[in-house]
Amino acid sequence: MEEVRIGVYVCWCGNNIAKMVDVEDVSREMETLPNVVISRDYKYMCSDPGQDLIISDVKKHKLNRVVVAACSPRIHELTFRKALENAGLNPYMFQMANIREHVSWVHRSRENATKKAKSLVAAAINRIQWHEALNKRSVEIDPATLIVGGGISGISAALEIADSGKQVYLVEKTSQLGGYAAQIDLISPFMYNAAQLINPKIEHVYIHPNIKVFLNTQIEEISGYIGNFETKITNSENQSIELKFGNIILAIGLSTFNPSKIQNYKYGIIPDVVTSLELEQVLKSGKILTNDGNVPQNIAIIHCVGSRNSNYHEYCSRLCCKNALKYSNLVRSAIPDANIFEIYADMRAMGNGCEELYSATSLKNVMFLMFDQKNGLPEVREASSKDNCKMLIEFDEKLSGERIEVPADLVILMVAKEAHKEAKKLAQTVGISMCGNQFFIERHPKLDPVATTTDGIYVVGSCQAPKDIPDSVAQARAAAARILGTINKGSVEVEVTTAKVNEDTCCGCQTCISVCPYTAISFDEEKQVSVVNEVLCKGCGTCGSACPTGAIRSQHFTDRQILSQIKGLLDKSFELQEG
Amino acid sequence: MAVYWGAACGGCCVSVLDVHEKLFDVVANADLVFWPIALDIKYADVEAMEDKFIDITLFNGAVRNSENEHMAKVLRQKSKLLVAYGSCAHMGGIPGLANFSTKEEILKQVYLKNITTENEDATLPNVSYEVEEGTLTLPKFYNDVRTLDQTVVVDYYMPGCPPQTERLLEVFMAIVSGNELPPKGSVIGAYDKGQCDECTRKKTDNKHIKEFKRPFEIEDDGETCFLEQGVICLGPATRGGCGHRCIEGNAPCRGCYGPPPDVSDPGAKMMSAVATMIDANEPEEIERITNQIVDPAGTFYRFSLPGSILRRKVKESLQ
Repeated sequence: MEEVRIGVYVCWCGNNIAKMVDVEDVSREMETLPNVVISRDYKYMCSDPGQDLIISDVKKHKLNRVVVAACSPRIHELTFRKALENAGLNPYMFQMANIREHVSWVHRSRENATKKAKSLVAAAINRIQWHEALNKRSVEIDPATLIVGGGISGISAALEIADSGKQVYLVEKTSQLGGYAAQIDLISPFMYNAAQLINPKIEHVYIHPNIKVFLNTQIEEISGYIGNFETKITNSENQSIELKFGNIILAIGLSTFNPSKIQNYKYGIIPDVVTSLELEQVLKSGKILTNDGNVPQNIAIIHCVGSRNSNYHEYCSRLCCKNALKYSNLVRSAIPDANIFEIYADMRAMGNGCEELYSATSLKNVMFLMFDQKNGLPEVREASSKDNCKMLIEFDEKLSGERIEVPADLVILMVAKEAHKEAKKLAQTVGISMCGNQFFIERHPKLDPVATTTDGIYVVGSCQAPKDIPDSVAQARAAAARILGTINKGSVEVEVTTAKVNEDTCCGCQTCISVCPYTAISFDEEKQVSVVNEVLCKGCGTCGSACPTGAIRSQHFTDRQILSQIKGLLDKSFELQEG
Repeated sequence: MAVYWGAACGGCCVSVLDVHEKLFDVVANADLVFWPIALDIKYADVEAMEDKFIDITLFNGAVRNSENEHMAKVLRQKSKLLVAYGSCAHMGGIPGLANFSTKEEILKQVYLKNITTENEDATLPNVSYEVEEGTLTLPKFYNDVRTLDQTVVVDYYMPGCPPQTERLLEVFMAIVSGNELPPKGSVIGAYDKGQCDECTRKKTDNKHIKEFKRPFEIEDDGETCFLEQGVICLGPATRGGCGHRCIEGNAPCRGCYGPPPDVSDPGAKMMSAVATMIDANEPEEIERITNQIVDPAGTFYRFSLPGSILRRKVKESLQ
């Protein structure tokens, strides 16, 4: 092994670190540790002069490893790795000790803070002795894209990608495109006609030379990794087709809550209790009638059916309030003298134009009545012959504090939006995560909302959480832009801190295979050892800690590196004082 | 050649005897100059030997008292090659489990609390005791059980409880035939790969444990991997070389052959592996399943506690 020559750099971070840590003392003491060739402190290590200091020292003192004691590696690890590259070193011959967030910002005793900083830097110095050079790898991108789901999200993404000249395979489980939006009559709050909005898009998809549509088709399995996925799909005639593509967009949309789970509402028992989705079909027919063909005089709209209730779904389904307001308006236009009751738990009509719709609706002689889900749900029952209506709805009205009865001839249940019934199966097929409500999880809830933790797989529209059309379209086009970016680049860099199997010590117990969340490990029957697909591996380290034989190394996080770091931390000379 | 026992059961010495008629090959190549189980040679005789007089010493047993320590140091000085022979010298072995107790707890249990002990005067062992005829002495009983290499520098390690006699002969013949020996500090007489490599039971990735079972609680088909039947088998965290005899005898591996080369703490490694096999997501369910492991410390660290990162239970006074 070459001689280990370490450079240590202790950053002041202006006064951020220096005010609580004696950085000069830390730097002096580190110089006495084995293999440390030079140790310095500097005002701002991340600045250009700071980085130049490292670069010139590497050359002058023939350093082959660099430790920087500064802020969090999440902020500047890449900065310093880059500096090492510029100095001609492998970027992984670097280790950062966080003496700002972990020390100066959280401690009050300068003496102890300085000792803790020394421990952390000593740990980094101990660890870096065992660092190994790792090389970047990249994979080529197949320019075709698979889109699963032909709703407004899938259609939007397909057109965006196809219009830029790239091949799209659009797979839809049902016999037609359009998804949930195609079942809607008018779209709240601006009352666009859904068919007029979506049908031209659907036509465009069918005739587009770069889009191949597969209707009545299911995804059997997907294998591969970013840039190089493969799938076998089967259509209703049982024909199997194999496709190859570089990226995947999941746009399978949502399902709606089955309200017969809530006995209070008598859905499925009283025929004039209908779901919001069933009402859309009624509206499309042009006439609002009860089950026996009469015009209803009393119309009740019950909100939050299955939403915001820990017995069903804790989350807000987001689309129902503004749709309920839409129904009040449509009923008022169709039956001018009807009594309309909005029985709501909380009015959450948010988004462009929705508050305005709420205000406008409240001027149209619509009765807004509030209930509290914690005090029980409204109870729907059949009225008696003398009541002059078909049903009565009884509940505690929250604002008046009274228990009241509301007459109804037609009850509209604003059913919750829930994850698609096929979501779980698909998540397992492609290897992505779901939240507790079985919606797909994005890579980062704020900063990476359409990617997933599996490279090359994107989630758009309501399969990630209930969404309206503008949000779904925005996500679809965002994913399309991301994919076109990688296609344009031609290749992507993949994780280098992956797991590696030492075939000389792997005994073939196969403990590692089922723990891998990315299905990156397989078993080589011939050699009787486990094999890690380094393109699929994300370097999470799960297999490394599960491997009982020590044959799997999590690169850059080997047992030896971590144990050395701990040993450095436990070095008695930097033990803290009591108190 | 010398064979010596520290804190040991005698099994290692018997494994040397187990060479049977091959003993003639051994004595044809080496004089046995010290072997308390078989030869009447006194400590003073050994102490009187020149340094490096002995070519090979097979030191079995752990170091748990002053006598063990003294002889370890003497034999180190008198031997060209010192081999930590067997699990106890290698990693601490079964006596090493005493590191889960303190010296005081052990003495109290053995001399005062034990149900078959009659000790009305509550006498405990003394290092020295005056009698009319003079002073009687006993070795000092240490708080810690140590491995041989925590006491003196060791040249080679030969694992096993006891090491397989065939492996001993291979190693012995390799040494006397003047073949090039592996680098000092190596484990000899064992493979780099774990037990599973040799084990003929059917292994899959289906290691999902809902119930931990002890061997008598399963109807073993003799073919399925023990772990896949919910029985803790230390095979994957244990070097091969023993001929997987326990598993051949339908008993799970207990780990006496020690960890493969890249494992520093076989108990922690195996615990970590077994934890990933627990087939549950709810904390209560995980706890219920984990509680089914009888004597987890003794199961995972049966042969390796003093040599592990853990080394011992923290003394009460330090807690």
